[in-house]
Amino acid sequence: MTTRQLPRVLVYQDIPVWRHAVIIQWTAQIASAIIVVALVVWFFANIADAIADRNISYSFTFLSREYQTPIGDFFIPYESSDTFLYAFWVAITNTLIVAVSGVILAILLGIFVGIARLSSNWIVAKIAMVYIEFFRNVPLLVQLYFWLYIVQELPSVVDADGRELGALIPGVLYVYNDGISLPWPSANDWTVALLWLATAAAAIAAGVAVHRRLTRRESETGRASHPMLGGLLFAFVIGAAAWLALSLVAGDSPFSISTPEPQGRFGRIGGGLTAKAGLMVLVVGLVIYTSSFIAEIVRAGIQSVGRGQIEAARALGLSQMDALWRVTFPQALRVVIPPLISQCLNLTKNSSLGGAIGYAELTSVGVTMTQTAPALPIFVLVMASYLAMSLTWSLIGNFYNRRMRFVGS
Amino acid sequence: MAVDDTTRSAAALPPPRMETGVAGWARTNLFSSLFNGLLTVIAGIVTLLALWYGLKWVFLDAEWRVIVELGGRFILGQYNTQSACPGQNCFWRPQVATLLATLLLGMGWGLTGRGVTRVIAITVAVVLGLLAFLPYSLEAMGYDVRLLLLANLPALLAGWVLARHTLLGTGRRVAVLAVASFLLSLVLIRGLPGIPGLQPVSVNQWGGLMLNLILAIGGITLSLPIGIALALGRRSRLPIVKILCITFIEVFRGVPLITLLFMSRHLVPLAFPEDFPQNALLNAAIVITLFSSAYMAENIRGGLQALHPGQAEAARALGLPGWHTTLLISLPQAIRNVIPAIVGQFIGLFKDTSLVYIIGMLDILRIGLDFVNGNIEFRDNKGEVIIFVALVFWIFTYGMSYVSGHIERHLGIGER
Repeated sequence: MTTRQLPRVLVYQDIPVWRHAVIIQWTAQIASAIIVVALVVWFFANIADAIADRNISYSFTFLSREYQTPIGDFFIPYESSDTFLYAFWVAITNTLIVAVSGVILAILLGIFVGIARLSSNWIVAKIAMVYIEFFRNVPLLVQLYFWLYIVQELPSVVDADGRELGALIPGVLYVYNDGISLPWPSANDWTVALLWLATAAAAIAAGVAVHRRLTRRESETGRASHPMLGGLLFAFVIGAAAWLALSLVAGDSPFSISTPEPQGRFGRIGGGLTAKAGLMVLVVGLVIYTSSFIAEIVRAGIQSVGRGQIEAARALGLSQMDALWRVTFPQALRVVIPPLISQCLNLTKNSSLGGAIGYAELTSVGVTMTQTAPALPIFVLVMASYLAMSLTWSLIGNFYNRRMRFVGS
Repeated sequence: MAVDDTTRSAAALPPPRMETGVAGWARTNLFSSLFNGLLTVIAGIVTLLALWYGLKWVFLDAEWRVIVELGGRFILGQYNTQSACPGQNCFWRPQVATLLATLLLGMGWGLTGRGVTRVIAITVAVVLGLLAFLPYSLEAMGYDVRLLLLANLPALLAGWVLARHTLLGTGRRVAVLAVASFLLSLVLIRGLPGIPGLQPVSVNQWGGLMLNLILAIGGITLSLPIGIALALGRRSRLPIVKILCITFIEVFRGVPLITLLFMSRHLVPLAFPEDFPQNALLNAAIVITLFSSAYMAENIRGGLQALHPGQAEAARALGLPGWHTTLLISLPQAIRNVIPAIVGQFIGLFKDTSLVYIIGMLDILRIGLDFVNGNIEFRDNKGEVIIFVALVFWIFTYGMSYVSGHIERHLGIGER
């Protein structure tokens, strides 16, 4: 009687073999694995058949062939006679340049807007709110077309009489219908320049060491040691001394500033650093779009830090700025970093929209390549490149996460 | 007594003038310090300038005639042209689909009573009804079209009555009806061969806002269950399932949607026999859904990870079988906690539908841009079109985040 009233689950003897958890689980697993493998094999076998039917190769040998197609933008020297592999590398650098510059600018702008969103100043907070709600909720592609439209409506650099039209600051900064030109350092002699760069790097390292040492002295002795000032001054003095010494020895300074200058009557610009309209629009669009997301992340991060922390900091006599930068921010970082990394990843991936506004980034170059080379290996390469970039971002994120973790957790 | 008197007279004093009213508000919110005052002045000047130039452009410089000219094409794309629907008027088919949607919104209102559903339902029906009074000529917009638009109001009320006074008024039944009417709408819009009045319209002719909405609704309804399955698979103890799910999620999350869409255009056709009917819209829908479900899986996994293990342990201790524990205890709590992230993903999916031009589909953005690029007359009106499209997208996405905020407050997320 009593055994019959026990719940059925407890009577193990009754369970037939095929209802054992282990059996069910492994059958399901093996079945799903077979289905997935079969689907993948079927997919690629069909593609292979189709490729064989249409008499095109799907090997990677095309990579050593000459690409013979111009690429719209390049930051490492490129000519049409270069190989596919090199053209691919050019496209990757194009994407990387957008990704890196975009991420840096988006984080800076995002932090600024995020803090503005929490400002006690009503009008500043409202402007930040409108900024966030608008740019976050409109598709990036629409925004890119909008910025492209704005840039195309700008005046050109010079008109027929040679008057400078697109100059924001004549001789220094030009924003015109085909891009932007700004001053940029250019090396007079590369050996001297590299020598100075190496010295400067050493100077920065020394400055960091000084900063550390002064910080330790300050916390040990309690005497004001100004670690930030000391470190910066140290690095600056070494750098400046090296600059002077190299200038005297070589007879010319390591770098000089090259400023943009309109040339001729056709709106060309020489000197300085020129970014074409596609690159400029892509970076501006990505930065504004992503910064609206980052602003929300920063706001949530700041709000996640308990009010008591700020009140305690204020009670200790820290100014509002100091409380924000030295107490709130370091603690907020723990909450901010993971979603921030995923925004960096999103920005990198969103750079693939550049093709729509005429910037030669990885995806658009890849798609152009499919006209003269087999599609399958190209897409494999494109996907692998993006996966590598994503992986890099994840690694950076994990590294930070480990460093930022609460001690003991 | 003297003490009493002072207290009384002190209590009778009005609050300091600088701490109440407009002056007080301005003092605390705009001019609390010198820096803040300076900030207010600068920000105020910038805002006024932006408003001045913005409003001047909107009301004086912009020519909104291009929007009027595009009109229905923004909503349906090439759907109602002669080439797509020769010899007859196909306008009523998407309109009936809209009626079904308002009917369902009415049912949602009837089910939930007050609250955000009512606001949304009434707004949608009223806006659709008001569209019937657009000042187009009768040739451009006939009585049939206008009447079908007006019919959205009775449809809303019918839905409300159905939900309140018939057996259909349960959440589960309305959900089933919603899925059924979405499929019915697809059939209506696609058409059926051989039935008069329902001649097939190729998906390549679908376009405009209708296309964005179809892709978004389909993607949203499918990406949530697929995402849940992937999230559970990723947390599963079964090694093969786990590896498959991780690979899927990481590959789809690591590659841009554009690249995937290009692949669906260049590679997927190769994977099928040459005579196999290709459907660009279906390819796009599948790619967008899978892409979104990979993200959805990560959101839900986050919710599952944040759940206290005690919940599952308690369920097991009560004798619930494993899948009951997951479906009835863990998942509802996990999903409830990540509703903001899920809605954020829905918004992202809706925004991503603007990328389908890559596989040759004409969504609302592409319809507008192609029109201004192809017509000399409207060549200078690109700005107007882009602003209008941005506004349309913004209304939908902001509406979604508004609903999400309401649900959050209603469920008290983040307050425990």
